[in-house]
Amino acid sequence: MKKTLVTFVAAMLVMFNVALADGDKVVKIKTTAVCEMCKARIERTLGLSKGIKESNLDLKDKVVTVKYNPNKTSPEAIRETIINTGYDADGQLANMKAHDKLPSCCKKTVAPH
Amino acid sequence: MIRFFSGAFFLLLSFSISAQRITGSVNEQDATSKTLKPITGANVYWAGSTHATSTDTAGRFNIPRVSQTNLLVISFVGFTNDTVKIGQESELEVVLRSDQTLQEVVVRGNANAIDRLSPHQTEIITTRALAKAACCNLSESFETNASVSVSYSDAVTGSKQIQMLGLSGNYIQTNVENIPGLRGLASTFGLNFIPGTWIQSIDIGKGAGSVVNGYESMTGQINVELQKPDSQEKLYLNTYVNSFGRGELNLNLAHQINEKWSTGLLTHASTLQNRIDNNKDGFLDLPLYTQFNGVNRWKYQSTKMMAQFGVKALYEDRLGGQKDFQRDMKGTTEAYGFGAKVGRYEFFSKIAKLFPDKPYKGLGLIVNASLYDSKSYFGLNKYNGRQETLYGNLIYQSIIGSTNHSYKTGVSYLYDNYNEQYVNLPILRKESVPGAFFEYTFNHLDKFVAVAGGRVDFHNLYGTQWTPRVHLKYNLTDQTTLRASAGKGFRASNPLAENYGNLVSSRAVVFRESIRPEVSWNYGASLTHEFKLGEMAGSFITDFYRTDFENQLVADLEDPRYMYFYNLKGRAFANSFQAEINLVPVKRFDLKLAYRLFDVKQTLDGLEDQSTLQPKMMVSRDRVLFNAGYALPYDKWKFDATLQWNGKKRIPYMGDMTDHSEHGMVTERLSTMAPSFFNLNAQITRTFVKWDLYVGGENLANFTQKDPIMGASHPFHQGFDGGMAWGPVTGRMIYAGMRYKIVR
Repeated sequence: MKKTLVTFVAAMLVMFNVALADGDKVVKIKTTAVCEMCKARIERTLGLSKGIKESNLDLKDKVVTVKYNPNKTSPEAIRETIINTGYDADGQLANMKAHDKLPSCCKKTVAPH
Repeated sequence: MIRFFSGAFFLLLSFSISAQRITGSVNEQDATSKTLKPITGANVYWAGSTHATSTDTAGRFNIPRVSQTNLLVISFVGFTNDTVKIGQESELEVVLRSDQTLQEVVVRGNANAIDRLSPHQTEIITTRALAKAACCNLSESFETNASVSVSYSDAVTGSKQIQMLGLSGNYIQTNVENIPGLRGLASTFGLNFIPGTWIQSIDIGKGAGSVVNGYESMTGQINVELQKPDSQEKLYLNTYVNSFGRGELNLNLAHQINEKWSTGLLTHASTLQNRIDNNKDGFLDLPLYTQFNGVNRWKYQSTKMMAQFGVKALYEDRLGGQKDFQRDMKGTTEAYGFGAKVGRYEFFSKIAKLFPDKPYKGLGLIVNASLYDSKSYFGLNKYNGRQETLYGNLIYQSIIGSTNHSYKTGVSYLYDNYNEQYVNLPILRKESVPGAFFEYTFNHLDKFVAVAGGRVDFHNLYGTQWTPRVHLKYNLTDQTTLRASAGKGFRASNPLAENYGNLVSSRAVVFRESIRPEVSWNYGASLTHEFKLGEMAGSFITDFYRTDFENQLVADLEDPRYMYFYNLKGRAFANSFQAEINLVPVKRFDLKLAYRLFDVKQTLDGLEDQSTLQPKMMVSRDRVLFNAGYALPYDKWKFDATLQWNGKKRIPYMGDMTDHSEHGMVTERLSTMAPSFFNLNAQITRTFVKWDLYVGGENLANFTQKDPIMGASHPFHQGFDGGMAWGPVTGRMIYAGMRYKIVR
């Protein structure tokens, strides 16, 4: 049982180190997010994608700052993820099907609020 | 949308020169027009200081800056408090978020939390913490909570008992969305009747509860909030399977029909059909069972009214006992069998009239009707129980002059019709209890809160009952809160349903006298302190509670041949002390260490008038809990482990009863102590955008009680007892499952 606990703690430390690994790159991508809900959706979807460490969207300029591992993903793949979530990425148009599924408050046509 | 916007507050910062005074306005957002309306009389004060003011009729305030703090607190009854960090700005526009409890808008982020505002010592288990215990129902939900402990009540039926403040779960009032839920006969298996995936959050209140919900709470109250019809998740599917062969399927649906109407469906099906006897005692370690369970409810929400109604239905079939027992051997001595068929049906409704321009005002009506029907057998003994319940509670809340003085008042009615039959003994009881209550709350800037409540109930069998309760909360500093409570509790016990596990035995059930209702007084105090050790955030909580019984149902098991029921003659009390420390060493890494001490004693009445004050059976004096959890951002990976240590407990004497021991030589009947043991649970979750995968283990230390069933080889003879389980009956268990969610 002690062993199980040690293994568990070790596993946690390993994960922790991975999270802090060096060599990460940062990319800034302009999106069409309008509200807090968009922010939460984009940050979560990116955050759960492969190779992404951190994502932070600033609603003022709609730019999402993504920290990623270049060995596992690329800026193109990250933009692709944003597009498939229903938002434009650096001028590339959003996937229309995904965009239509967004709640009305999150659509591009909505007035800023 | 609304959740995010109204959940936050807007600060329109005007970066002018730093002024000596802070001015600003406090507003609420009108739900329909989205325009801002000023709030009159809102409290504005500097955290931890005596500098305070309130807003005028235009919602404006003006307060001098203070040197001690830069945290400005804005509060108003009916709204969630906001704390604003003041920098250079001198003009603020604050929008408070409505907090109408009748609307049940709950947004919770952290895993475990202590409700800081409530005058009651309340711990909140959130959806996040519930996910730590992947399986399966309410009884497992307390796994990472130090205040409530859960154990099997016996080694055969699979029913579970919770314990708080050293006393059984029967003394806790368990509500489902503020409707008394698991009470009466349903307390036997009730915890297994609320699937974990249905639960949104659980509030655990320690000590005397509010008088609004009735007189039955003695050691505390647990309120379970279920997933709402207007929740963000329109579909939630959970599957689960474990190494014992248990399979489980949960499907929750939520649908917003239009702006005002929404409907939700919660369903559950689970089964275990694998005969397991790992300890080779000839008895199934877990009963075979199948459960179907569902809730359908409808919700109407407008600015002026909120209404909810729905139905619940449950069917469960259990089969346990000796390994080779088959259903058709029932009533014979071929093999010892246990069976239980339970049906439970309920209709519930809640209607609330809201006053949009007076958020402190509200009128609510709860109406609830339920039927519980169970048919069980233990070897040759049959036990049937049926309970019909009707419950109504009308609550009005408002203020006296200002929101510093608020009150809740109302009337209630409870009807219970119990119809039980054990072997040849019928037990009938009809309770009809109209009652009225009044609860006054004094609030001084949220720094000092005093709640005094009383209720009077006219019980048709036990006469007029008067139930007073008091709660105090005082914020010593902004980080330190003191609470104290005292109050009376009253309940009619159901001896057989509450000692169901002990019916799996050769003990003869003897009612020595007619059982009177239980009456207790509970006193307690707690201290909550939040601190920072460098960058490390932490909290320290300690509390002490004492429950004193005026009358208690005594289930006397000292003589292995009998289970005697009688009224308390002498003293019975339970002291409980708990200290808990929570640390967050680095972001997303939580540690919890808790120690709990119980001192529970009860006067047992020997047949020849030798009353002795004895430590209560099956209660560990000491318990230690350690929980560690770590999560990556967005919970991409989540790790969690809980280690518990349960101290020794007293278990009844199960040796021979020679004739002379009945004549004065009681000292020979020595009760024994069950050893202490460890229990380790751990879980790993991986989250994807739409679904989660989880795998975990329970009782990883693989500790089991060696002979959980006394006299297992001769179940139809003297000395057989399945109710003596003090530790885990089953060994290590591994489980895996999946959650799939479609968010609106």
